[in-house]
Amino acid sequence: MSDPTDPIDPFPTQAHPPVSPFPPLDEPAAGDPPSDWIGGADAHDLPTRENALIALGRFAFPPAPALDEEGEASRARRWTSQTLFVACAFLLVFNAGSVQNWARQQPPGWAQSTIDRLATVWIEQLTLLGADQPIQGLREVWHEAQATRFDGRRSAA
Amino acid sequence: MLFPTLAFAVFFLFVYLVSWSLDRENGRRKLFLLLASWFFYAQWDWRFVGLLIASAVLNWAVAALIVRSDREKRRKLWVGLGVAANLTILGFFKYYGFFVEQAVDLLAQFGWERDLPLLQVVLPVGISFFTFQGVSYVVDVYRGKTAPAESLLDVMLLMSFFPHLVAGPIVRASDLLPQFARVPRLTREMATHGLLLIVWGLFKKTVIASELATRLVDPVFFDPSAYGAVDIAAAVYAYAVQIYCDFSAYSDMAIGIAALLGYSFPRNFDQPYRAASMQAFWRRWHISLSSWLRDYLYVPLGGGRKGLWSSCLNVMITMLLGGLWHGAAWTFVAWGALHGGAQVVERLGRAVVKDRKVIPTWLGVLITFHVVCLGWILFRAETFDLAMQMLAGLGRFEAFSLVTPFVLVLIVGGLAMHWLPPRAVEGLAERLKTAPSPTLGVLIGAAILLVEAMRPEGVAPFIYFQF
Repeated sequence: MSDPTDPIDPFPTQAHPPVSPFPPLDEPAAGDPPSDWIGGADAHDLPTRENALIALGRFAFPPAPALDEEGEASRARRWTSQTLFVACAFLLVFNAGSVQNWARQQPPGWAQSTIDRLATVWIEQLTLLGADQPIQGLREVWHEAQATRFDGRRSAA
Repeated sequence: MLFPTLAFAVFFLFVYLVSWSLDRENGRRKLFLLLASWFFYAQWDWRFVGLLIASAVLNWAVAALIVRSDREKRRKLWVGLGVAANLTILGFFKYYGFFVEQAVDLLAQFGWERDLPLLQVVLPVGISFFTFQGVSYVVDVYRGKTAPAESLLDVMLLMSFFPHLVAGPIVRASDLLPQFARVPRLTREMATHGLLLIVWGLFKKTVIASELATRLVDPVFFDPSAYGAVDIAAAVYAYAVQIYCDFSAYSDMAIGIAALLGYSFPRNFDQPYRAASMQAFWRRWHISLSSWLRDYLYVPLGGGRKGLWSSCLNVMITMLLGGLWHGAAWTFVAWGALHGGAQVVERLGRAVVKDRKVIPTWLGVLITFHVVCLGWILFRAETFDLAMQMLAGLGRFEAFSLVTPFVLVLIVGGLAMHWLPPRAVEGLAERLKTAPSPTLGVLIGAAILLVEAMRPEGVAPFIYFQF
C-alpha cells in the first residue's frame, strides 16, 4: 500500500488534495500574447525553403498566366501535333523502307516513280548511317522466334 | 484503305492537320470531315457513297417528320416506315441472295423447280453498321431520347464519319450529335489515350491476329481433316484470340483516331474472355452491338417484363437475329442459337438456384470461354460440314504439325491480355500525358517501329468488314 499522501496514488484516501509544490502567484501573470495559430492550416502548407536554382529560374522565366479553356485546348493541339511530327520523323529515319514498299505497290505513274526514286535515295543515304540496323536486328530476332519448333529444329520459314 | 497502312496514315495526317486548322468554324470543319469520310469510303467502291448519302437523307427526313407530327399514331407510322426502309436496304444488299437461294431449295423440295431472279448483289462495306446507326437515330428521336440533329450535315456526318464507318463501333446519335454541336476540345489525355490505342490496335491486328491467321487458323479451318486434335484445338483457341485481337484492334484504332480529331467514342470491348457467364460475355464483347440489340430488339419484344419464359424466348430471338446480322448463312444462325440457348440455360439455372453461388468464378470463366470457342467454330467454318469436321477432329489424336512455340506464345499472350488491369491503357495515358512532346513522339515512333519489325508483309482486311 502506498503512502496515502502520495499524489501518484491512483486511489487517494485523503479527502483533500495534497498541497501543491507550485503555489499560486500573488500577483496575476501578464496576459498571453495574441495567438497566431490558424485553425484550418496544415503543417504541410507551411512555407519551406525553396531551392535557390528553382527560385532563380522562376525569376528569370516567370510562369505564364493560367490559360483559359481555349488556350489550354490550343496548347494541347500544339503538343499533339509536335508529338505526331516527332513520331513521323522518327519513322521516316528508322523505317524508311516502308515508304519505298508502299510506292512500289501503287499503280505506275509520275507520282509513284517520283516517290519511289526519292525513297530509294533516302534509304541509301540512311543505310550509310546505319539507320536501318535497328529494324533489321528486330526482324532477325523475330524471325528466329518464329522458326523455333518444339523438337529443337528450326523450320525453313 | 485499311487502318494499318501507310496510305491511311497519310490520309489521316492530312485530315488531322486540315480539320484542326478549321477549328474556328465548326460548320466547315464538319463539312470537311464529311468529304474526307466519303473519300475514305470511295476507296472501296465509290458507287456506294450514293447509298450512304441516300441512307442519311432518309433518316434525317424521317426524324424531321416524327418531330413535326403532333399525333402519336402518325409518329408511330413514321418511325415504323423509317425502320422498315432501313431494314429493306440492309435486307436487299445483305440477304437477297441468301433468301432467294433458300426459296429455290424449298420449292425444289416440293418438286417445283423454278429459276428465281438471282442477282449478284455486291455487299457495301459497313452497311450493317451504318444501317443500325440510322435505325437507332430514328427510334431515339421517336422515343425522345435524343434531340433531332440540327442539320442534314450532322446526320450525314453521324452516319459517314470515317473512324467508325466500316466496322463500328455503332456510335449512337445521343453520343455523337452533341459533340458535333461545337468544335471539340482536344486535351492531352485524349491525345495520349488515342495514340496509345492506335499503337495497341496496330500490335493486336498486324502481329497477333495476322500471324495466328496465316500460321494456324486459316490452314486448319480450310481442311480440318488433314490435322489432328492438338492442331485443331489450338486453331480454335487461336481463332478466339484472332477474332478478339482483330475486331478489338479495329475498335481501338477507331476510338483512337476519333480522339485525335477531338471526338469521344464509347468503349466496344472490355476483356470479354474474363466473363464468368454468357450474359456477362455479351456485356463485354462488341458492347455497341449488344447494347443496340438490347435497346432496339430485346426490350421492344418485351424484355424480361413478362416473366421468365417470355424473357427466354426474347433472348433466343434476339441472339438468332444477332447471328443473322453477322452474315447471311445458316452457320451464323446456328452460332446465334448457341449463344441464345446458353443464355436461356443460364437464366433457368439462376431461377432455380436464386442467389446461391453454385459455380466458382474460375470455373464459370472456363465454361463460358469454351462455349464461346464452340461458337467460334460455327462462326469461322465456311459450312456446317467443315464445322462438323472440326468437331470430329478434336477426337483424332495425331502428331501435331502447325503448333509451334511461337504460335503458342501468341495464343497465351492474346488470352493473357485479358488479365491486364481493366483500364491499363487509360492508366498509361494518364502517366504519359505529362511527358514532353519529343519524348512521347519518340516512344510512339519506337513502338510503331517494333510493330513494323514484327508484322508480316501485307495486311488482311478486318474480319468484321464482311459484316
